[in-house]
This record gives sequence, C-alpha cells and structure tokens, in this order.
Amino acid sequence: MPRISLKIVGASGQGINSIGAIIAKGLKRSGYCVFGYREYPSLIKGGHASYQLDVSNEPICSTETKVNVLVALNHHGLELNMEELKQGGIVLHVTPGWQFPEHHRKLIAERSLRVIYFPVDDMLSRLGARAILSNVLLTAFVWSMLDQDIDVLKSLVGETFAKKKGLLELNMRCIDEGYSFVDSEQGATAVALPPPDKSFASHLLITGSQAMGLGAVHAGVRLYAGYPMTPSSPLLSFIAELENKTHMVVKQAEDEITAAQIVSGAMYMGTRALTATSGVGFDLMSETLSLNAMIENPTVFVLAQRPGPATGLPTWTAQGGLLQATSCSAGEFTRCVISVSNSQDAFDLMPVAFNLAEQYQISVIVLTDKQIAEALYTQRPYDLEKAEIDRGRLVVDPEKLKLLKSSDRFDPHAQGGVSFRWLPGSDAATYCAQGDEHNSTGAVDESSLNAKLQMEKRLRKFDGLKARLPAPHLSIGGRSAEMTDWLDAGDEIELLAIGWGSTGDVFQDVMRSDELRGWKIAYLHYTYLWPLRTQELQGLAKRAKRIVLVEQNYQGQLGMLIRMECGLDIPDKIFKYDGRPFFYDELLSSVMERCACASENEANLPGFEYAGSSS
Amino acid sequence: MNIALQTRPPTISEYYSETKCIWCDGCGNYGIWTAVKYALVELNLHPWQVCLCYDVGCHGNGSDKIEGYRFHGLHGRVIPFAAGAKLANMKVPVIAFGGDGATFSEGIGHLIHGVRSNYPITFVLHNNTNYGLTTGQASSLTPQGQPMNTSPNGIPEQTLASMDLIFSLNPTFVARGFSGDIKLMTRILKAAIQHRGFAFVEMLQACPTYNHLATHEYLLDRYFDANADGHDPGNLQQARALATQAQDRIACGILYQREDLPHFYDRLIPRQGLETTCVEEVRRYDVSEYWKKLV
Repeated sequence: MPRISLKIVGASGQGINSIGAIIAKGLKRSGYCVFGYREYPSLIKGGHASYQLDVSNEPICSTETKVNVLVALNHHGLELNMEELKQGGIVLHVTPGWQFPEHHRKLIAERSLRVIYFPVDDMLSRLGARAILSNVLLTAFVWSMLDQDIDVLKSLVGETFAKKKGLLELNMRCIDEGYSFVDSEQGATAVALPPPDKSFASHLLITGSQAMGLGAVHAGVRLYAGYPMTPSSPLLSFIAELENKTHMVVKQAEDEITAAQIVSGAMYMGTRALTATSGVGFDLMSETLSLNAMIENPTVFVLAQRPGPATGLPTWTAQGGLLQATSCSAGEFTRCVISVSNSQDAFDLMPVAFNLAEQYQISVIVLTDKQIAEALYTQRPYDLEKAEIDRGRLVVDPEKLKLLKSSDRFDPHAQGGVSFRWLPGSDAATYCAQGDEHNSTGAVDESSLNAKLQMEKRLRKFDGLKARLPAPHLSIGGRSAEMTDWLDAGDEIELLAIGWGSTGDVFQDVMRSDELRGWKIAYLHYTYLWPLRTQELQGLAKRAKRIVLVEQNYQGQLGMLIRMECGLDIPDKIFKYDGRPFFYDELLSSVMERCACASENEANLPGFEYAGSSS
Repeated sequence: MNIALQTRPPTISEYYSETKCIWCDGCGNYGIWTAVKYALVELNLHPWQVCLCYDVGCHGNGSDKIEGYRFHGLHGRVIPFAAGAKLANMKVPVIAFGGDGATFSEGIGHLIHGVRSNYPITFVLHNNTNYGLTTGQASSLTPQGQPMNTSPNGIPEQTLASMDLIFSLNPTFVARGFSGDIKLMTRILKAAIQHRGFAFVEMLQACPTYNHLATHEYLLDRYFDANADGHDPGNLQQARALATQAQDRIACGILYQREDLPHFYDRLIPRQGLETTCVEEVRRYDVSEYWKKLV
C-alpha cells in the first residue's frame, strides 16, 4: 500500500489544526484516504503540538513515525522533528535565517532532505494581510507541492468565507500567492501521490467522537449530560453543537456524579440518555453504576481512556481502563463492556449498546480512547437502515400494562433474570426502584431467601448475555475470515495476535503491508470485552505457532481477563504505555521480528498452559 | 403537569402500602408521609401519575411505605436523579426527598446546583438536624457544641446557615413545614408541586431518639403559620428574615415564591415549542443531515 505522510508542527493555537483539517478535506475530495493524528500538550497556547496526515489511495487508518513532509510553523519544529523525516523528505519552514546545527546538516545530507524556507512574513506584508492568513499561504503552497488542483482548495476555503466577501477575496489572493511560490534554491518541488480513487470523495472526514455522537443520536438518545474531561469532551461539544437541530436536552453537569445520576434518572423515566467521561471521572460515576445494577436500570456510559493514574497524561492515549470498566464499583453484578475501534463502530455500537442495556436492564460501558476520539478518519457514509431499536422487555401497550402486578418488576423467577420493565407515568401497578436489597415489588427485604433469589436474578443475566454476545472478529492477512472456516480447515497460523480498541486498525494496516505478504498472520479483535468469550481464541491458539498480545497498557489487561476466564496465558506481548498509539512502522517491525522467530523455531511449537478445559 | 382525565378521583387508600412502617414512635416522618399522600390526592394524582425519589436516611426508608413510581437511591444524590427523571418526562410530577445529612453534606453541591438550575421539581428536606439512620451523628445543621454520636465533645465545625445558603442562590420557592402540622404541610406541598421551578420545602421534623433539643413539643411551641399572619411570599426581604431567624418563633408556611423566572427546561432553546417528552421521542433518527459538512 502506497503511503505518504505529512506532519505539521508548531505551537498549540498557531493554526496547526486548521492547516491539517483543510488539507485533509481537500485530499479526500480529490480521491484520497486520509488518516489524521494529533499530538498536543494539555494547555491552550504554546507548547509543541502536531497534526499528521497519512495519505493513501487505499484505505489507511494508521500513523507512521517517519514523514515525507514536515511543515514547521516555528523553529521548535526544526529542533525537535528533523529526525522524523524519511529519505528524500521535505522540510518546509518559516523561520528566517535559520541555521541548522551540525548534526542536522549531516542528517540533511545523509537523507537527501530538501529544505524550503517559505517567506511568509514578506508575503503577508505584500498582500496587506494579517498574520492569521499565513496558514492559508502555507496551505496553498503545500497544496501545490502535492500537485493538487488549485480550484479544489479555493472552493474549500470559499465555503468558510462565503458570506464575508472582503475576507473571501483576500483568502483567494493568498491561495494564488502561496500556490505559485517557487523556492529559489530547490526549484519546483513535488511530492508524488499515487493515482486517486474517486470513491473516497463522497466519504466523510470524521473524528471518533463525532462518529459516536452521530451514533448516539441515531440510537435515539434524547438527553446528554456530561462534565468536561479530555478525551470525552469532544463528544459533549459535538452533541451540544447539534442541539438546535436534534432538539435534545443537553446538560453540562456540576460534576461526573451529577452527570451519571441525571442520565440514570432519565433512563429510569424511560428515555435514552448518555454520558461520557474519562479515568478518574469514571471513578466518580462508579457508585451510580452500582446503583443502576441494583435497581436494574439500563444505562450506557462512555469511558474515553487516557493514561493514568490520576490526571496522568490528559491529552494522550491509552487502553488502561479495561479492568476499571469490568471491575469497578461495589457489589457483584452483571455489566457489559464493549470497545469501539474506529469511526465505523463508534457509530455502529451506540445503538447496540443501548439495545443491550435495555434488553438486559444493565449498564453498558463503551470504551473509547483519545486516539479514536480525536483521530480523523476517512469514513464511508453510514448505513442508516441496519440498526434496530430494541427496548427489551419494556411494556408500553396499555392493555398489557393493565395486567402487570407490582411484583412483575423484579420477579426473581423471570426468564434469564430479565423481568418486565415499565415506566413512571404508565397507568399500571407501581413499584419502587430500590437501592436496598428488595423483593419483587421493590420493597426492602433482607431475608436470607430473598437476598439469595435477587442476587441470582441479577447475576443470571450474565450467562444469557455471554451466550449472545458476538464472537471476536478474526482477520487473516488483513482480510476478514470466517472463524469456522479457519478452525475447520486445520491450517496452521504462523502468528496469532490478539488486541482490541484502536490497536485493531493499526494492525489491519500492518497485515496489509508488502513486508508481511505471504505470512499466515491471524488477528483476533475483541469488541465485546465483558463478558469475555474465549472459545474461538482457545481453538485458534491450538493452531498457532506463536501467539502475541497487543495492548496499549502496562499489565496486558485483556490478557489478564483471558487468563482469568480460560486459563490461557500469553507470555509474548507487544505493549505500549507512553501515551502514544501504536504507529504503523513500529508495530510492523514488532510483528516482523516475531515472524522471523516463528520461522526459526519451526520445529518447536510453543506450548500454552491451560488451567481449565476449553469450553 | 399534564394529568389525563380521570373517571375516578384518587383516594388516600390508593397510596396504602402493605409494607409496615418502621420509624421510631413519635418520628416526624409519620406526619410528613401522611401530608405527602394528602397533597397528592388533593391534587387529583393517582399513584401511577407521580414519581417519588428518596435519598438515603430514615426518610428514605419510607420509599416502600407508599405507592407511586418510586426510587430509592444513593446518599446525597437524589436531586440530580430526580432532575434527570423530570427532564426526560415533563408530564410526570417529580418529588425528591432528602435528609439534612445527605442534603447539606454529601449532596450539598447537588442542592446548590439544583436551586441554581431551577429544575422543575419539588425537593422536600427532612430536617431533624442529625444523621438518624446511622445512629445519631451530627449533621452540618446540628448546633455547634452539641454532643452527638462520634462527637462526644460536640462538633468543632460551625453550624451551616442553611436558609442563608438557600436564599443566596436566588431560589424561586422556599417553604417550611413542621411534622406536627399535617394540614399546613399538605398546603405547602400542594403549592410546591404546582410551582413552576425548583421548590425547596424544609420540613422541621422531630427525632425522638437522637434530637432531644428540637423535640416535637419544642417545635410545637415555636412554629407558626406566617401566611396566616399575613406574610406575603412575594416579599423577598421579609421572607429571608423569617426563614433565617428561627430562634424564638419559627416561621412556617410558604415563605417565598416567584413564578416569573422560567425553569431549567423552559430555558432550553432546543425544546421550545415541542409538545413531546424525551421519553416519547426514542426512535431511530436519520442523521445524514448532520454529516453533510463533514463530506
């Protein structure tokens, strides 16, 4: 797969994002798949930040550590990012009279880098334009380097300033000026892009947060309460931006506890409501999780992960919240933990999460992370017909409501532990959503027999849920594979990798790489993390020469759950816990190392220890 | 409120619960519990038409001693839960109950933002100036220096000036009742439930087991119906004075009310002109309109 990468660096607030966003959109409209990745510190102005675009004419959903073009909006970029350039790369900068230190001069020579000074201040004064337009000048020059049609850029910028004629004209002059700039030393410089694939033109450029927000609205969420905390805040912002169109109730609560309680009250009343938070914010919500378990109130919580403990690395990514999601909060109860992986299932899983919550009258925790929340995906428009709204055993028919008894609400003998649910305001027998242990009507009942029956009722849901959750997704060499075909064929797998969340897309890109062509690499991707299905994994593990766990945390939290559930121990791990996502080239080399080892040790199949029998 | 036409008016017996009361003899909860039922019946509300939300404490043990759609939650959290319930379905009256421990310690932030937000709910404070259910610890409304369980020398902290706090928040409804006067409490509760916005109702409540100062007799001697004395609830200055000065005589009744301020839901621009509730709006939505600018 051909890939070109372009990285814009500078101080936070300097306009990195606007340059990145406009080039991304322009390239997408021209028929390219773009994957955008942002790094920035937790502050508003200053600090070193970046926006990287990885571009291809095939689906691309990962970031490389090495780039073809570096655009440095200040001299810090020239100091900090030179090592990231590929052989023959281009450095575009705006710092007048910059003298590279000796080691960088050497680097420039070794890698045949082309350095272009872009005299933005001169251009601005010539045009009589304010400093903010330097971004337009730079964008236009990059656009010409990419050998793209100037009219595409003009129409894009025109959309923003359509109503401000004076500004529009100035912007167009900046585009002409920037586009026609030629560096006197380097001459005309071009970055060769592969031929475009026009099918990308109709795609969306969307962040995981926007995808999740659209998914929530699609799923019938009518109330959103949240408290700002990165990386969950972009979801709150997006939902709030849409409120006048969706007519949703949006509440910025006074804290995470409040947000969780408001959402729980709204779900109890019978609407669909959502909240999202991160790390320690979710700690504050966890008492409410326990409450909802006791009153069997369906709820959905989004847990957007970032590295902890405490406030940790606020603007960076991690997969350290899995055990928090599966294990936090008082008491034993049934919950469901699922994780989105990209902009596709950030959308698709929202209706799924609400359906599961209502079908089992449990809380569903939807994991995402900073990488998914803020990465920019090239996304095929969503299928708006496939999702169903399934509200489980909710009774709304007036005739059926008349037949209900109070004791139907928490009937301990209900099939699968899921009893009828009906809503306040329904003309029917009433009940108490009781936070103390209670009998079938919600009256407090501390008797031994009742305590046992009700605990069993609530925990019985776990078995039904586990049996119904979809299997993890298997792909072989970057293509989806039917689990049964693979298991039945008896083929040997050279490397079986297991991962979840944002790791999945990077691994898909890695498996599609030319370097790994011909290798039988299987990747098992978990979306439904709790209850955890392990039968497919156990079957595959027996056929795998080598098995590796790929996670963005220190302990290998999915690995811990796997071992807990089926005894399979996976000693080989590719882990990351520095706040950065897996990068394409980095993960590729980790996988290649293992492939090399696998072929060396052909004779010695690794043995895996099973504490329990496979089910 | 939007109450459907009834063929039969509600009766007190509809609110009767089989669950036995377990409050101490002489507990003020009996009076408040009775007044709540009277108020709902007099407002022509059947149990299925109301949502009653209880915090944790002795009052919360009343959650299964009455009919209605009820909720009994976590300590201090009843206000946001009740607010969420109400915002989801504006057609159902929502009444939240909380004790002085939950409301002025663990949940004080929720109270402040509840008043400030002017949620369209009724909040009934069961004030017996101590934590009864956990066996008589001091609350932030217990007089400083009063020896209590876990504070044998009295609490070192200042007593919180609860009514000063409430009035600092620009409330729209403040009332005070006394658990010994069911008729007065019924009148207050009816007005509170009908109020447009957040109705703060303090019920001074006898706790015969742990509060030996503000007993039933103590309160009986000092309370009076300020409205009967001619107090106008529109008079903020007088209301605040009556609410905060409760040393010798304790002013009860509807102390303050204004209905010119829109409540939280009425202030939501996206909801204006909509007749439906969030509960009724749950369905699959076509969102393609919202992604146009992303193409």
